[in-house]
Amino acid sequence: MEFHVLYRPSHSLAVCNLNPNETVRAEAGAMVSMTRNINVVAAAKNPADGGGLKRLFKGLKRMALGGESFFTNTYTAMNQPGHVSFAPSLTGDMIVHQVQPGEQLLIQGSSYVAAPDSVTIDTKFQGFKGLFSGETLFFLSATGQGPVLMNAFGAIETIDLDGEMVVDTGHIVAFTAGIKYSVVKASKGWISSYLSGEGLVLRLQGRGRMYVQSRNPSEFGATVGRMLPPREN
Amino acid sequence: MQHQIEFGPSSAWLKVQLAPNETIQAEAGAMVRHTSGLQIDTRLNAGRKAGLGAKLKAFFAAIARKFLGGETMFVNDFHGPQGGELVLAPGTSGQIMHQLLDGQRKLFIQASAYLASTGDVDTKLRFGGLKSMFGGEGLVLQECTGQGDVWINSYGGITEVPINGSFVVDTGHIVAFEGNNLNFKLRSAGSSGGFSLKSFLFSGEGLVCEFTGTGRVWIQSRNLNALVSWISPFLR
Amino acid sequence: MQHQLIDTPDFGMLQITFDQTGEKIVSESGAMVAMDTAINMQTSMRGGLLAAAKRKLLGGESLFQNTFTATSPGQRLFLSPGPEGDLRAMNLEAGQNFFLQSGAYVAHVGEQLVLDTKFGGVKGFFGGVGLFMIKVTGPGTVYYSAYGALHEIDVPPEGYTVDNAHLVGFTEGLTYNVRKFGGFKGLFFSGEGLVCDFQGQGRVFLQTRNAGSLAAFLQPYRTVKAKG
Repeated sequence: MEFHVLYRPSHSLAVCNLNPNETVRAEAGAMVSMTRNINVVAAAKNPADGGGLKRLFKGLKRMALGGESFFTNTYTAMNQPGHVSFAPSLTGDMIVHQVQPGEQLLIQGSSYVAAPDSVTIDTKFQGFKGLFSGETLFFLSATGQGPVLMNAFGAIETIDLDGEMVVDTGHIVAFTAGIKYSVVKASKGWISSYLSGEGLVLRLQGRGRMYVQSRNPSEFGATVGRMLPPREN
Repeated sequence: MQHQIEFGPSSAWLKVQLAPNETIQAEAGAMVRHTSGLQIDTRLNAGRKAGLGAKLKAFFAAIARKFLGGETMFVNDFHGPQGGELVLAPGTSGQIMHQLLDGQRKLFIQASAYLASTGDVDTKLRFGGLKSMFGGEGLVLQECTGQGDVWINSYGGITEVPINGSFVVDTGHIVAFEGNNLNFKLRSAGSSGGFSLKSFLFSGEGLVCEFTGTGRVWIQSRNLNALVSWISPFLR
Repeated sequence: MQHQLIDTPDFGMLQITFDQTGEKIVSESGAMVAMDTAINMQTSMRGGLLAAAKRKLLGGESLFQNTFTATSPGQRLFLSPGPEGDLRAMNLEAGQNFFLQSGAYVAHVGEQLVLDTKFGGVKGFFGGVGLFMIKVTGPGTVYYSAYGALHEIDVPPEGYTVDNAHLVGFTEGLTYNVRKFGGFKGLFFSGEGLVCDFQGQGRVFLQTRNAGSLAAFLQPYRTVKAKG
């Protein structure tokens, strides 16, 4: 299985080539097009959560916390090679991170798009709900071996960190677990942090790879959202 | 100060290398990331050396800006004893352009297009028309003068158009223009050859800004009002 | 008349430079970005009131169109669509057809070019907001936009499946069937759980983003209507 990302960085499309009877899991709603031999199964995710009600509950929790979609679709190329193409909701890039055995990748909830079965996406809650409106942060963890497809709002910068970096909470895409994070105020005091418009930021320390996106989804949402007609509820 | 604009035209950000104690002023909320050791000072959007009177004026201008220009009242100064790297980005997709002010140039920019500046760049709020009458399509500008760098962001790509004579731009597509030898006035889109009520009501073009004289205008290829009209039928 | 496509595929914009007095281009209302002043803009309901009303109701497209006519040579006109993404031109020979999702139409040149909303009867209606196909028949040039990049697929012999919300247009020689897509998707994204199976010989044009997903993203950021 391979992902090819086209039209980078702003209007990226990921084409996933599948060998006969190979499978890829992806967020519901991400599919753009596919060959005719693809069999699609929709399921509340994910198998690692256990069965029935437990899985449903976990899925709802993720949706509430991470802005992530509740369902996963499983795409299988029946008997022949085939492909499925995926796209995110917003303008921006997609990137593939190859998860190595023994490595853990923490992915910001709404950045995850797709992965094969050889990669386990664990959804145990890690993150926080911020004091400032619109600031929530929720990480999924990817372990195992294989490619993980992620999306960004805007372009993606790949940084190999050895030391320390301060990143706005709305601009983080993912980082490997060799990097530790703490949530700190952007400025010295609470009031100045609020007035600065930066609120809380992530202080990332250690060694590893991190991905940063050039736009902040909640900033864009707030800008356009207030220009839209009001909703019913 | 070294600076680079990366990922344009649609996902542009501004990366600057600050020398020890060098300062850049940025619109509140624009910070993407910075190396440790940089500090943020937040202040009202008035000149650095402004007295109390100027500060009061700036305070009311800032409030006006907040409501009319959709822009924040505060700016952040980034600096550090060892310097460092800072990355800034605007809220929407789009491009960033750099302009150098030499003390003589007068640059008008769309109020929400300000991203950052250095040195003694002074910004003053200017109104181009009666905004409330035309459903948010009026023109709120910032007049930039002084000496230093200015970084301006757009929604869409930026195209530079040289003007020698007259030229009209939809108010939602103006990024910036040179104010020294260009005059501007607002009018409805269809009224060049006499006023047409039908064009005024139904052309979908709303207000345009007519420039006369010589100078450059920078236009953006997208417009948030047009995005809103386009997405509205899909809303629930 | 010369044309230039600027900033494609990120933010396609059309620059027209008129060579002669009297040359004209017709555009979707609201598409004008900027222009020189020796250009006359006229607003009209193309195809008369009924045809325009039908386009509005079925196609999510504007009732009105603007005709820009040069009154002096060398005049410049800039046009752009609402969404972010690519903008392209399709030149059509006399009698050649191109099927376009109505919201993708930006402008056209050629007084004989026909934009037909009536083709295919019920089949022309695709379901979902703004997904009404129009049949464009040459001679002339039509300018069309995508939300995102334009991705072209030559339909393979066994056929090809496309999410309806990502469809921009297709060439002659293809037939299609619309069906519901994968289980839960339709339940939770109302009106968007449709895909289109294409069969035959031809090319399908896809956009890499879709309006429904953007609308869903923006939903929590909208203000809530006051009660009572």
